[in-house]
Amino acid sequence: MKIRGAIAAGLASAGILVAGWQAGTQVGGIGTVATSTTATGTTGASGTGTSGSGASGSGASGTAGSTGTGSAGSTGSTGSTGSTASGTYKGTAVQTRFGPVQVQITVANGKITDVTALQLTNTDRKSIQISNRAAPLLRSKVLAAQSADVQTVSGATITSDAYLTSLQAAIDAAHL
Amino acid sequence: MNTKLLPASPAASSSGRPGLSLPAPKNPSRGWFARQYRQRMLRRDLLTVIAWTSVAAAIALWLADGGATGITSPAAAFTAAGIVAGLAGMDLVLLMLLLAARIPFIDRTIGHDRALEFHGKLGKPSLYLLLAHGILLATGYGMAEGLDPVTESVNLWVQVPDMWLAFVSVALFIAVVVTSLVAVRRRFPYEFWYVVHLLTYAAVATSLPHQFSVGGLFAAGTWQRWYWLAICIYTGTALVYFRVLEPALATARHRLTVARVEAVAPGVVNIVMSGRKLDQLAGTGGRFFIWRFLAPGMWWHPHPFSLSAEPVLHGPDGQGTLRVTVRNLGNGSAQLRRLRKGTKVAVEGPYGLLSTAARTRNKVVMIGAGIGITPLRALLETTPFAPGEATVLLRGHTDQELYLGREILELCRARGVRLFHLTGPRAHGRSAWLPEDAVRGGYSLTSYVPDIAEADVYVCGPAAWAANVIADAGKAGVREEQIHHERFDW
Repeated sequence: MKIRGAIAAGLASAGILVAGWQAGTQVGGIGTVATSTTATGTTGASGTGTSGSGASGSGASGTAGSTGTGSAGSTGSTGSTGSTASGTYKGTAVQTRFGPVQVQITVANGKITDVTALQLTNTDRKSIQISNRAAPLLRSKVLAAQSADVQTVSGATITSDAYLTSLQAAIDAAHL
Repeated sequence: MNTKLLPASPAASSSGRPGLSLPAPKNPSRGWFARQYRQRMLRRDLLTVIAWTSVAAAIALWLADGGATGITSPAAAFTAAGIVAGLAGMDLVLLMLLLAARIPFIDRTIGHDRALEFHGKLGKPSLYLLLAHGILLATGYGMAEGLDPVTESVNLWVQVPDMWLAFVSVALFIAVVVTSLVAVRRRFPYEFWYVVHLLTYAAVATSLPHQFSVGGLFAAGTWQRWYWLAICIYTGTALVYFRVLEPALATARHRLTVARVEAVAPGVVNIVMSGRKLDQLAGTGGRFFIWRFLAPGMWWHPHPFSLSAEPVLHGPDGQGTLRVTVRNLGNGSAQLRRLRKGTKVAVEGPYGLLSTAARTRNKVVMIGAGIGITPLRALLETTPFAPGEATVLLRGHTDQELYLGREILELCRARGVRLFHLTGPRAHGRSAWLPEDAVRGGYSLTSYVPDIAEADVYVCGPAAWAANVIADAGKAGVREEQIHHERFDW
């Protein structure tokens, strides 16, 4: 009788795990697609499509994607190279082992008025969590310092370094 | 003195059986007990399946949300293992809470003490899983950032909101499990253990915030969200309902007060309580209730005592009396002798499977020792069997220790039960549950009950003694399912 219970429990558990695995690989497929569209989303508006994805991992990258979309329209104005620069400037995408990091600055009359993260480390939940914590901190530090010469966020060293490197590239592009 | 204990209900005297005020137990048709047993085993298997699949489901839903697809590096593998350990640990903690929630379905299926036994068995594994959860995640996150696990832990504590609560939670879980280890628990009074055990609720409560904010468990749009919401809400509701609300309702329903305290033997008293709607408690003789006597200095002390007789009804609206027989053991029990008439009594129960619900066969054997005799006295009153199909063995150091022996004798006469009094100093070595002279005379369990292999065997007495009885019963061909034994020294 005990054996019957054990066998039933074992079979049911195995079945549930396999079903979960199956469902997971499908979601994973969608997730991968979502991430890749996010990567290309920085150049176009396709980033918006990702925010609909169910998994929290791709959900967070969707946010990054839609941020890119929001400012993508104004990228066209990045024409001027004058010293009193205005407009938005993209930094280079810096590769880290947790995913690419790219920021964009909004400049008005030679001052950095906003920093948006187009891409942030997002390979796993932890990276997303770190990114979500570090990005606002870095943004406020940068706006205060008006340069990339700010302290990295502890516990998010890699993200910070990549963020500031991309930021420096954007500042260089703006000739500030 | 004994005649006073016997109810003078007209119904009882007309049936010609002393001590019975309720309708005489009817003998169910052949095979009824076997069917009851099969159904109970089916329920037990169902519980087994639910318990195991709940762990599988916790992990499967994490997989379904794409949990395993993120494993692309060693760091991610550590992190994933940490998450799985946390999910399984949390699931086990909730199962433990459910096992301790006194849910009637569980009680009717495996009994209160087996439920607590499983509850205890899960303690260490769930703690290990929660510790592994912390260590693996600190390692995984640390590897991802190039930090050692300790620095990463400090970072998590300092920087991530709600994480400090999770650390507090682990500390509380460690305290709860350590104080429950047999070696540690013995050194402290029950009350200390109990208060520390209440910290379990604090441990679960402090673990929840980080599951919401940091973990993806309740993230919108995930399958996991619904599973965890459901299981958390169900556990919380079950605990509140069955451990708080239902006892409060039962207390209000029965309005029990102490009617009298009678001496049975040196250090042993009957506590008779009167109340109403006691007809609803018919058939609970032998099962235990948790009693709280609402007198100054006593109300906070819960006493698990079995009924030593069926409820006796003598009025409309189920008015009547209940009786427990108590031996003076700890401080709390000593106070009970001084209980005053009219003291209000809060009650929780009935609990346990020392009842007809456990029966698997038509024949019955009851073996009791000391104060353990008293629940059997109540069971003897109601559990169905035909004359000649039951045997009662009572064990005590002296005749005086065969508590309620006179009542049992009368019940045995009325129902056609073989009764043996086994008194004298205990034997050594094999069959230590028997008196020395019985063993020396060549008597064993089967000398008293030759057909014990075909009977349900109820055993009630001190743990070591009961273990001896059960071992002998096993040798006599009694299968595990036929043995009904409940610890009452929790």
